[in-house]
Formats: sequence, C-alpha cells, structure tokens
Amino acid sequence: MEHLQTLTWTDAWYLAPEVTLSIATIVLALLDLVLPRRINRDIIGWLTLAGLLASAVFVVWLMFDFKDLEGAAQVHTLVGGSYRIDDFGNLLKLVFIGASAFIVFSSLGTVRDEEIPIKGEFYYLLLPAVLGAMVMSSSGDLITLFVGLELLSITSYILVAARKNASQSSEAAFKYVVTGGVASAFILYGMSFLYGVIGSTNLADIMSGMQGAMESSEALIYVSLFLMTAGFAAKLALAPFHVWASDVYQGAPTPVTAFLAVVAKGAAFAMLYRIFFMFMTYFTLNTDGVMKHDVFLALAVLSAAAMIVGTAGALRQRNVKRLLALSGVANAGILLIPLALDLTRLHSSVFSEFIYYLIAYAVMNIGAFSVLTIVARSAGNETISGFAGLYHRAPWTAAGMTILLCSLAGLPVTGGFFGKLFILFATVQTKTYWLAAILLVTTVVSYAVYFSFIRQMYLRSGEVDSGLRLSWPAAVSIWLCVAGTLVLGFLPKPILEWIDKLFELPFDMLVS
Amino acid sequence: MSTSFAEYAWLVPVFPLAAFAILTAMGKGARKTGPWIGIIGTLASLVLSLCIAFERMTDNADDYSKSIEWLQVGSLKLSAGFEVTNLTSLMLVVVTLVSFLVNVYSQGYMRDDDRISTFFAYVALFTSSMLGLVLSDNLLTFYIFWELVGVCSFLLVGFWYHKPEAKAAAKKAFIVTRIGDLGLLIALLLLFWYMPDHALDFTTIHNVFSTPGGVISVGITTLIALLIFVGAVGKSGQFPLHTWLPDAMEGPTPISALIHAATMVAAGVFLVARTFPIFEASDAAMTTVAVIGAFTAIFAASIGLAQNDIKRILAYSTVSQLGYMMLALGVGSVSAAMFHLFTHAFFKALLFLGAGSVIHGAHTQDIREMGGLGKTMKITAWTFGIGALALSGIPPFAGFWSKDAILAAALDKNGILFAVGAIAAFFTALYMARLYFLVFAGKPKQDGHAHESPSVMTVPLIVLAILSVVAGFVDTPFKGWLGEWLTGEAPEHHGSGIVMVVSVAVGLLGIYIGWLVYVKGTVRRDAVSSRAPALVRTLERKYYIDELYDLLIVKPLRSFGKALQAFDDYIVDGVVRLAGYSTSALGRLNSRLQSGQVQTYALTALIGIVILALAIAGRRFW
Repeated sequence: MEHLQTLTWTDAWYLAPEVTLSIATIVLALLDLVLPRRINRDIIGWLTLAGLLASAVFVVWLMFDFKDLEGAAQVHTLVGGSYRIDDFGNLLKLVFIGASAFIVFSSLGTVRDEEIPIKGEFYYLLLPAVLGAMVMSSSGDLITLFVGLELLSITSYILVAARKNASQSSEAAFKYVVTGGVASAFILYGMSFLYGVIGSTNLADIMSGMQGAMESSEALIYVSLFLMTAGFAAKLALAPFHVWASDVYQGAPTPVTAFLAVVAKGAAFAMLYRIFFMFMTYFTLNTDGVMKHDVFLALAVLSAAAMIVGTAGALRQRNVKRLLALSGVANAGILLIPLALDLTRLHSSVFSEFIYYLIAYAVMNIGAFSVLTIVARSAGNETISGFAGLYHRAPWTAAGMTILLCSLAGLPVTGGFFGKLFILFATVQTKTYWLAAILLVTTVVSYAVYFSFIRQMYLRSGEVDSGLRLSWPAAVSIWLCVAGTLVLGFLPKPILEWIDKLFELPFDMLVS
Repeated sequence: MSTSFAEYAWLVPVFPLAAFAILTAMGKGARKTGPWIGIIGTLASLVLSLCIAFERMTDNADDYSKSIEWLQVGSLKLSAGFEVTNLTSLMLVVVTLVSFLVNVYSQGYMRDDDRISTFFAYVALFTSSMLGLVLSDNLLTFYIFWELVGVCSFLLVGFWYHKPEAKAAAKKAFIVTRIGDLGLLIALLLLFWYMPDHALDFTTIHNVFSTPGGVISVGITTLIALLIFVGAVGKSGQFPLHTWLPDAMEGPTPISALIHAATMVAAGVFLVARTFPIFEASDAAMTTVAVIGAFTAIFAASIGLAQNDIKRILAYSTVSQLGYMMLALGVGSVSAAMFHLFTHAFFKALLFLGAGSVIHGAHTQDIREMGGLGKTMKITAWTFGIGALALSGIPPFAGFWSKDAILAAALDKNGILFAVGAIAAFFTALYMARLYFLVFAGKPKQDGHAHESPSVMTVPLIVLAILSVVAGFVDTPFKGWLGEWLTGEAPEHHGSGIVMVVSVAVGLLGIYIGWLVYVKGTVRRDAVSSRAPALVRTLERKYYIDELYDLLIVKPLRSFGKALQAFDDYIVDGVVRLAGYSTSALGRLNSRLQSGQVQTYALTALIGIVILALAIAGRRFW
C-alpha cells in the first residue's frame, strides 16, 4: 500500500462546500447554547438555511470552475483518490442541499415549540446530516463512504427523536437505530470481505484488483456483494427490508420524515451507485462471468419486490405518513432500476435517468410532505381523511397538492411522469420486459393510492370548516415544488440533455 | 374589381349561426319572435347569396378564396377558409332560398308546437352548417360541417322525440349515415397521407388529380374515390345505405323538405361534384358511381309504386332522383347533375311542403284515406300538380330539362344506363300520377273538414311552383347557359332529339296509365296485386332490405355485443376483481408484517437476504 497522502491547504478549496457546513454546524451549535431561551429558535433555522445556501454556492462554483477551455468536465481527486470532486457528486450535492433547504424553509414558522422542544438542534443538526450525504455522494473509498453513511445515519437517529415528548417519536428513533445499525453492519461486513480479498479500500484499486480476486476467491466476492446489497436494501427500504420505514416515518416529525424520504434515501443511492457502478463496469468489461447476471438479477428482483410491496401496501394505508413511506418504497424500487439494467445492452444513460427521477421524486415528496404538515395540523391527525374537503377550505393548496399527486402517480405533464417514462424506455431498450411490465402495473395500481387523496379533497366534505393557516415560507416552498414538478414535466428534454451533457459517463464514474 | 360580394361570402353562414345563437339564448320563451329571427337570418343569407350569384353571372369572375392558417403542428399546417366558385354560389342560392321558404312555411306549420323556438334554432344551425359545408375550401372543414349537418339532421328528425318512431328514425339516420361518414373520413386520411404537402384544399386536389400520370397511383386514387363515394352514398341515401331516408320522414314535414329533399341529401352529390377530379382520374370509380346511381334510381322508384304514406312516396322519389344525379356524375356530366340538383331542390321542396299542407288539412298521411282534396285545397292542388309534373319530367316544367340532360349524357355513355333511367322515369310518372289522383281527384273519403292552409304556408308553395316552372330554362338543349357557367366550357349538345321524345313519352305513358287506373277505372286497381301478389308485397316491404339488414347486420352485431358484454362482465371484471383482491391481500400481508416489533423487522431482513442469495445463486444448480 502506498503511503497515505495528506490533506493540503489547496485541497481545502475543493472541500469548501463541506467545510462551510462543518463550520456552520459548530457555530450554530454554540449559538444555540449561548442564546437565551426566550429567543425564538427560528433564527437558527434561517442561519441553517444561509449555511446550506452558502454551501450550494460553492458547489456551483466548483462545477463551473472545473470546466476546462473546451467546456469538458474535470475530476479532482483528493487524498489518494478517496475523495472525488466530479459532476455526479456535485449534482447530487445540489439535490441534497436544495432538498434540505426546502425542508428547513417550509418548517420555518410551521414547526412549533410544543412539538419539537429542541427546535434549535432540529435545525442545525440537519447540517451534519447533509454533510454526511455529501460525503457519501463524493467518495472514492469504502472507508470515506462508510464514514459519510454513519454521519448521516447517526444525525438522523437524533432528528427522528426530535419530538421528545412523544413516545411514538422515541420508539421510532429506537427502531431506526436498531435497523439502521443492522444495515450498517451488513454493509461493513460486506466491505470487509472485499478488503480481505483485494487488500484495498480504494474503489479504483478494487476495480483493478477484481480480475485477480475473481480468479482466486469468487465465492467471497459473491458473499461480499450480497451482504452489501442487503445492507443497502435495508437503508433504502427496499422490500423485504422496508418494514421499519413505516414506523419510523410515522414517528418522526414530518419535516424529518421528508428528509429521510428524500435526502437519506438519495444519499444511500449515491453510495450504492458509487460502489456498484464499479462492479458494473468490471462486469461490462469482462462479459464472461456468470456473476454479472446474478448481480443484475438480484438488483432487479429487489427493485421489482419494492415496487410491488410498496404499491400494494400503500393501497390499504390510511395514515398519510405511512402511506408516503410505502410510496417511497415503491419509488426506491424505481430508482434502482437504472442500475439493475444490463449496461452492455446499449444503455449508457443510467445516471441521467436516475438523477432525473431523483430530482422529480425529491420535489414532489417535499411538496407533499409540506402540504401534509399543514393539513395534519389543521385536522389534528395524520390520516387521509384530514384531506377531506380541502378543496373547499383551501382551493389553491388543493390544486397544488393535486399536481404533486399527479406527479407521484406518474401522470403527464409532471416530472414524475417523465422520470418514470425515461426509466421505462431504458427497461424496454435493454429488453428487460418483465421489469417494464411490473413498473407499468404498479404505476396503474398506484393511481388508486393517490386518487384516494383527490377523492377526499374534492368529493368529500370535511368536518373542519376553518381555512388553512399557511405560513408564507411553507406556501412559497409548496408552490416552488409544484412549479418544479411542472417545469420537469414541461421541459423534460432540455433538462435531461443538460444532465446527459454534464457527465460523460466513463470520465465521471470510472475510477481510473 | 376592388371589392366584391364574394369577399363577404363568409357572412352567409354567419347570419343563420347568429340566429341560432340568439334563439338559443332566448330560450323557450320566444314563441312569437323566435320564428322571425330565423326568417330574418336566412333572408339575410339569401340576399347576400343572390348578390354573389348575380355578380358572378355578369362578369365571368375569377374564383375567390381566402383562408387562414388554423393550426400548425410541427411542419404540418391546417388551414380553414372559404371559396366562391360558380358551383358554390349556385349551391348557396339553392340552400338559402329553400331554407328561407321553409322558414316562412314553418311559421305556419309549427305554430302550435311547444318547442317552436327550439325548432327554429335547429333549422338555423342546420342552414348555417350546410352553408359552411358549401363554402369550405378544403376537405377538412368540409368534413367538420358535414358532421355538423349530420348532427342537426339527427336533432331535427328526432324533434318529436316523444314519438318512439321518431326516436328510432333519428337513431337510424345517424347510424346509417355514420357508416358513410367513416368512409369519407378514411378517404380524408388517405388524401392527407398521399397528397403533396398534406394539402387538403380543393384547388390543390383539383390540380393534383387533373394532371395525367399524377403523383398518386391509380389504385390509391380509385380507393380514395370509392371511399368518398361511400360518404356520399350515406348522406345522399343511395343504395345500399338508402334505408334511413324514408324513415327520416318521421320528422316535421318542413324538415323533410329542407333536409331530406333539397339540401342535406344533396351534400353527397355536391361532395362528388367538388372532388370530381379524383373520380375522373379513375374509370372504375366513375363506373361504380354511374351503376349505383342508375340502380338506385330504378330501385327506389319501383318501391315508390307500392307505398301508401304520402311522405314515404316522396322520400323514395328523392332517393330515386338522387340516383339520377349520381348517374349523371358517373357518366361524367357535372353540369347535368348540378342542374338536376338545382331543379329538384325546388320541385321536391314544393312537393314536400305541399304534402305538409295536405297533411295539415287532412290529418292523415295515408293516401288511401284521402281523396277529392282538389276541391277544398285549390292552391295546394295546383302547386302540387306543377311539382308532380316537374318530377315526372313533362315539358316545359323544370324537371324535364334536367332529367333530359342526364338521360342524354347517359345515352352518350351507355345504352343500358339510358334504358334504366328511362324506365325509372316511367315509374316516377306512374307513382306520381297514383299519388296525385288518389289525393286530389275522386270523391272525398272523409267528412268535409279538410281546409286550405293559411297563406303563410301557401305563399311559399306558389313561389316554389313558379320556380319549378321556370328553373329549367337556365339550361335547355337549345341554350346551355348553366352548363357553360358551371364548367366554363361550351356545352356539347348531345343528339337529344330522341332522348326528348323517349323522355316525354314515358312520362306521359306513366301518367296515362295512372289516370286509367285511379281515375277512369278502366283497369282495376288490383290488376297487378291479384296476379302477382308476391311482387307487390316485395315492393311494399321495400325489397325486404330493412329486414335483411336486421338479419345480417343488426342481429349478429347485437349478439356479438351481448357476447362481449358477457365477456366484460365475467372475464374482464373477474380479472379486475381478482387483481383488486390479490393486491389488497398482499397489502394485508404487508400490514401483518409490520407488527411494530423491531426484532421481526431484523428477522425479515435476514430471511430476505438468505432467500435472495439462495434463489439467485441456487438457480445455477437447478
């Protein structure tokens, strides 16, 4: 093993987004301690937002700074390739930061002290969580990846428990700790096999060492892959590893639920894509192995199971957060599809499809959760009947929610529709027809799930007559989500082309 | 010519449309003013149409057309516009004139109807659609108006919807003509596909198909022409889609005059005339048109011999006369067809309105129950007689000249077609004589409460009667003015001396026999029916065409529908129920799994990965 490269001051520039978040976390933590109790902690929320935006500015800066004269992207690696600044990472970072910013923004003025007594912590703890997600999307080394994963996970455990007075919240946090720990254990165990066989944790080294390792100890690689698959499946809440999701989503404060559904899930996907894409590339270059088919098949089966179980489970669910948790299970299945498709069969736009749908998924989920926060507050419960007669109480919010639901259901012209459509095209292109069929059938069944909201909103008369109280940040973020959904629906082609152009696949992901 | 009336031709359909809008807005309350709005709307159209037509007659004006881009999708452009040619201006005059007279007449005829303003609204909408159809400069807008006309016809035939027969007739008219419309639609799509630049306007169609060895192959041309003809067959009640027209007589009588005699059924003929270059490019299509036309002419005329409902006789006569027009088109004479359309519009409207007057007075439609009405209904009798003579082709009435032109054109082409046409003319004269003598001659069969209709009804009759006398002189074998005006070519004079003689002879013979049978009584009325009862019965039952359709098409379709319904009820719904049940069962299983026990969750995950690994790796060893 080569000697460890140390971090230099010039490298710090490339880490500016991460460093910003770290500093912001520390400053805000101190501020929260120093500030007298009577001061509303919303100020910390605004500062959290500012920290996130500053970090986002740096990410964008880096993205453009990295273009050389011809406009082609460049990759910068730090610390012996254990950290990579590339377009894949940068784009995902933007998604994570943006999603978190939306969540913070819509919580401002909505989250009350009675619900979350530790409002200050609630806000600033999102920062290390996002930092963990960013590390996960930007790492080229198993250890860095795992550190990022744990940073995100542990912060999330705390956030889930933020409703300190509600036993449901503590229970959810406990379950999340246990299942999250089990998942981490699976992943770490799988990684250790890989390290044992190849002798390196660096993804580039692993790839170059695969050939030899496959010859000497194929079975161990097999075991490693399956253990990691199981761990990620649990993190992503893919069926049958999804059971924790409903409990945790229900127990957590709604903004945290949104965070789990969007950022935590997206980050786990980022890590999964990082690691598995390396395997995919290896398999693509060495087409003879039987293992290749097994891995593709395992992922495809998991994705199919998630779509079926998530959709079927959501059908009978009355609690909206549990319902959205199951909808998230189905959507995780869809997000997994691009990776589960055989790359050798003319399918190179894996990342465009994945990121496009991830963005659409993020936008529609955050919007839906924001609406849910307000509606549940007004109705006093989180069941679907809380939406009854929403159209008569708050016609505009109902209209916005309808658009978000259409996107979730995958109806044109919304981001969700085109996201699903692109992924469907990919399945057909690679002749994975059975997966395409499952995607279509579950989509159709999911109409019943989402239309039950619409039925409640328009056709039922609610018991609550009063109008909906909507704080202006919540209203703005809901409408930004709706607008984003529609923009993704109306301009799918330019956006997809832009993502396509942004990363040239081999350059960004192939760890050379 | 800086400004011309033709530039304002688009206003012609707008007036009745405005009348329709106003009438609809006013609702049912406008019993008194409603009819006047309809009359004024059509009068305005009539005046403008006459101005346009006279303008075109004085100086041989160029065709005027104007179109706007309607919508553009990618490189595909659809335009909408209007075109004024001699042909369209003639049609404008015919449609507006008949429509105006029918409006005036209806004011009397429909006086006691509860929904009189609705009636006038429908009539106005119908007139507007028909005028739009006439003015359209391309096949697409033509098709839209064509369908609108169909809808209006449906509304008007079923106007008395409390009568089950009227409802059935409206449905039948709509469905049967839809079969034809489908043909036209397919033709339109084919044209759209094959035409250069997807052009659908009549000028381009004319240019493309007139050039010999054109861009579109003969096979496709024939196909398109035949499909267009299918549309025309449906609308113009040609065999085998003629069955709806006689049934459509269930509508109010003015409607029969307006739609099912003078204008809407003429739309099919007009369509063929408008797209005539396509037909000319295909001999097979021309032959088909001629044969179908000739066959319909004699077929419907023979049915007319044995009917007893005054309106049904006239309906079959319409079918027969439309057959003549098709025959004329099939033998290549657009001018003869349009000439006959022109004269027929007047005398057939006259006959229907006269029949309405008779029904109004006698309160029955069965001619066997009438008789001697000539004494009490003098104006009706006289005008009806003029119409009958015109229809029978007796000089100097209008029908003679136009029928003569058609027969001459047919003789020029094919002797058999001519013979068929001549025999049909004999039948025509015979059934008209039977109708006229039974209704107006002889002794009254009812108590003498039959009375003449009010002047609001008789004045249109007189106007139409005058037109039925003089309309024929616009194109006689001696001076072929109309043909020249329409086609722009000097008319060719067929050796029509013999045609004229034959035509007059069969007409007079038909009337004479009718007179012998129904007035003089020299020949017994049951002379034929006692010797050949089967023949008469067949004619009475209209060759059993309706029964045949019922047996061959309606019944199989209905049982097919029943089978499909059973399939839907048991198989499809069953699958849906099964899918719903199994999905929700899966959902239940999922909730069972979510016991809230975190140990179970971890165990599920563990079992899951073991099963997955075993299944994936294990399938190699199977």
